[in-house]
Amino acid sequence: MQRRSALKSLAVTFGGLVSLPAWASSWTPDSVGPVSLVSFDEETLLGEIVETFIPETSTPGAKSLKVHQFALRMIKDCYGESAQTTLQQGLALTETTAQQAYSKAFAACDAPQRLDVLSRMVASTDPAGKPFVDLAKRLTIQGYTNSEYYLVNVQKFTMAPGFYHGCVPVSKLAVNGTK
Amino acid sequence: MSFLNIDSAKERTFDAIVVGSGISGGWAAKELTGKGLRTLVLERGRDVKHVTDYPTTMMQPWEFQHGGQLTKEYRDANPIASRCYANREDANHFFVKDAEHPYVQEKPFDWIRGYQVGGKSLMWARGTQRWSQYDFEGPARDGFAVEWPIGYADIAPWYSYVEKFAGISGNKDGLPQLPDGEFLPPHEQSCVEKHFTEQMAKHYNGTRPIIIGRCAHLTKPQPIHLQQGRGQCQNRSLCQRGCPYGGYFSSNSSTLPWAAKTGKLTLRPDSVVHSIIFDEKKNKATGVRVIDAHTKEMTEYYAKIIFVNAACLNTNLVLLNSKSNRFPNGLGNDNGLLGKYVAFHNFRTGISAEHDGFQDTTTEGIRPNSSYIPRFRNVFKQETTGPGSRFLRGYAAGFGSSRATDVDTSGMGEDLKNSLMQPKYGNWRVSSHMMGETIPKESNFVALDSSLTDAWGIPQLKISVAYDDNDEKMIRDFHEQMSEMLTVSGFKNIQTHDNPNKAPGLDIHEMGGVRMGKDPKTSLLNKWNQFHTCKNVFVTDGACMTSTSTQNPSLTFMAITARAANHAVEELRKGNL
Repeated sequence: MQRRSALKSLAVTFGGLVSLPAWASSWTPDSVGPVSLVSFDEETLLGEIVETFIPETSTPGAKSLKVHQFALRMIKDCYGESAQTTLQQGLALTETTAQQAYSKAFAACDAPQRLDVLSRMVASTDPAGKPFVDLAKRLTIQGYTNSEYYLVNVQKFTMAPGFYHGCVPVSKLAVNGTK
Repeated sequence: MSFLNIDSAKERTFDAIVVGSGISGGWAAKELTGKGLRTLVLERGRDVKHVTDYPTTMMQPWEFQHGGQLTKEYRDANPIASRCYANREDANHFFVKDAEHPYVQEKPFDWIRGYQVGGKSLMWARGTQRWSQYDFEGPARDGFAVEWPIGYADIAPWYSYVEKFAGISGNKDGLPQLPDGEFLPPHEQSCVEKHFTEQMAKHYNGTRPIIIGRCAHLTKPQPIHLQQGRGQCQNRSLCQRGCPYGGYFSSNSSTLPWAAKTGKLTLRPDSVVHSIIFDEKKNKATGVRVIDAHTKEMTEYYAKIIFVNAACLNTNLVLLNSKSNRFPNGLGNDNGLLGKYVAFHNFRTGISAEHDGFQDTTTEGIRPNSSYIPRFRNVFKQETTGPGSRFLRGYAAGFGSSRATDVDTSGMGEDLKNSLMQPKYGNWRVSSHMMGETIPKESNFVALDSSLTDAWGIPQLKISVAYDDNDEKMIRDFHEQMSEMLTVSGFKNIQTHDNPNKAPGLDIHEMGGVRMGKDPKTSLLNKWNQFHTCKNVFVTDGACMTSTSTQNPSLTFMAITARAANHAVEELRKGNL
């Protein structure tokens, strides 16, 4: 949502010049395509990490929406080499931290254990710890809130509303309905 | 000079040539073909056909690979183009890459270009406010640049003429400093914008009106728009991709297809104009030299009249490169002023704030527009006391608002997800950006580089344009006045922002270099946009502007072009050209 806010403030800043809709950016697994940045195992691990940030409940979690593939695409194409290094080192650190804390793989940990591993990494002195968690979390939120599922079901996105009303009661709208 | 001519000279001869197919070139094409002239339109970029060449226009937001962002590879290779607000993943294909047309920045200047049929009319921001008499009278009253050879009364009927055809949405506000036009229904202001408007009326006794912006959107298409094949704006606000409905005005959706329907239009994309051909015996221009963008072969095209609408700085480039024995320093450049007195709009700064009232209201739908604050400084006279007396001219400003949604992203796991799935309304947020008038000066100029050339063998343009002290004073006044205006209206968390490193150019409102004026000694063009010394060449894009005022300039380019084209055809029929 930080990104959405940034976009919104950008849209407002430029005012009459441009009005970027809040969902000017989004993605699907199809649009992302295959990304060869990490190994199959590492990609699987990243899937478990994004799922830890946004787990499946009665609604889809980040893994089933393939947010980790979006994150890999973004790191590969839109971020620099240092982010790719952070990713590689962070994934390795995730496994070693899980082994040290619980003597098992991150994927074998339960949800509280996984959250604890990520919290330990944030607190860690390892230079790949906090930067990796921050990067992965930021991309998880960006990917999830710009996914088709989220935009259609939560934001009630309509590409061409055909109208604008400047002052409507919030009681008339679900939060974020047709914005 | 020898040429590889496939076709005969006769086949390369037209009644009129228009250089450029953007917002003013499109209007020249429409007017000239509409009056029966066989017209060649030359566009240096590729063809972009309405609808079929808008590849991203129907893409859902989630269909973009990078969530709308530009890739690092692109940003690293194109630091200039990447800085343009509209250049994102969905419209990236309409922006010229830095390496494709290099130029020399004697001072930092971000030159944003759209080389394609339609030019920047595809990606423009669509603000269309008229100038008033106070804008045209500015240079003479305040003693800068030179006097405009035309006034509001000269241009007013042509504003009406182009507004009816283009389709301009707006409210009749009755302001002398921002005359009303031929309006389609206006967009609505939000609750908070209405509140701000009311507070301003109260606190400043009507001297600082706030209005809904006037913009080139078909809020209620008229028969003339339907005849163009255009329809109702769908409030998508995805304009920079090209609009399949023709909901906003562009050359591609409006003037060019209209010109084509006359059967008089020849549109030639991939045609880089090298220079204007001047015939000393006839003492007028006879045509243009064109380099094929791909084969690099040069061909000449001939016509009785030539409209140069290549976009401000490229128009300067073409004219500076049009050297002859008669004009060794560029076409019509006897006084050495060609390329000088370039000005722009100062878009460097802005302000944002929040309002914690109106909590039970929000907006619904999408508005491709915002509110607008007409210039209130030094409008009817130069202020002699107080802050406004510290600088010449003034600034307008955009003013937008939205009801923010706040999400707590501090957590992880189910806490984070719950927060994301149930966004809460935050405060109303407003934001405004300054649009400052800059004073045209001889020291802000463009010239041909003496050694560097581009891929077509044409000298590179050297740009030497910068802010001055007047601009800095205006920025400070904008901060002070807007802070006061927001404070008295109950806004909180008021934050100004200014980036002194933001170079001129990103406003994409560059103007001048081939200015109009009354005196051939101090200007290049007369009141009909003809060169004083080469009457069959007309310049009607931003390059012709004597001063810049504060309004978005495209509507004025359209009106000036239609007016000049009408005059050109009259003069042609009288045998004067």
